[in-house]
Amino acid sequence: MENLEYERLAWAVLFGHIAIIVVGGFMTVLSQSLVRALVGLIMTLFGVAGLFFLMAAPFIALMQILIYVGAVSVLIFFAIMLTNAWPGGDESGKSPGRKYIYAGLAGLVPAVMLATAVIRTAPPSFLVPEETEISVLGRFFLEDFILPFELISLLLTISMAGAVILAFEMRRKK
Amino acid sequence: MSVMTIYHLVAIFLLCMGIFGIAYRRTLVGIVLGIELILNGAGLSIMASAQLTPAPNELGQVGALLVMGIAAAEATLLLAILLVVSRRFKNVEAGKLITMRG
Repeated sequence: MENLEYERLAWAVLFGHIAIIVVGGFMTVLSQSLVRALVGLIMTLFGVAGLFFLMAAPFIALMQILIYVGAVSVLIFFAIMLTNAWPGGDESGKSPGRKYIYAGLAGLVPAVMLATAVIRTAPPSFLVPEETEISVLGRFFLEDFILPFELISLLLTISMAGAVILAFEMRRKK
Repeated sequence: MSVMTIYHLVAIFLLCMGIFGIAYRRTLVGIVLGIELILNGAGLSIMASAQLTPAPNELGQVGALLVMGIAAAEATLLLAILLVVSRRFKNVEAGKLITMRG
């Protein structure tokens, strides 16, 4: 009896988060003001974090909130601010109606293909995932996955250096 | 339909929305938003595949973390590129950036 109730709760949480993701996704691509689009993106990111929690991966969910919501969204907000793409700016005003159709086709065709493939070939899956300890994850990173781990730090360093160089070069020219 | 399929369909929805955003938006910032959606969908798909099947859980979590790291690096670089573009061309509309001379 109690198990059944928990299961029902889990389904409710799952579909609630999916609803958040869907609404946020539509807001991200369709809203006229870029700030509102960014709010939609943040909504989607929170929804995906909730799905991570539901998949029994709280560490990844917290990382998602920390990195995506905390860092990436702030960076995009800076991008909106510094490029003067304010409301009433670039993204408002009508775009040709045909663009809707072409863009929709470009998104829908691969999505439908992938969805049919996923539905047809999906292997049976667990209903209740297991939780992985963070220490196991850390060991996995430092023993089996040491090369990707180092490469991602290299990538981050290079991208930070590249960003600083790009921004400073412009200032020098002024 | 198994639970994993639902997660995968959500990830595919994010991919669809991202491609639509990249094709539909006129400013570069809007395109960046679409790219973030796609990357997030990729992370979700990787996680669902690892957590809900007999595959090792750590693999999926590490994969999702790597995707997040790549997204952070990409967002930093894109911010710098957007700054340079907006100073040089005075706007960030994708259709109006015609010259690519360094």
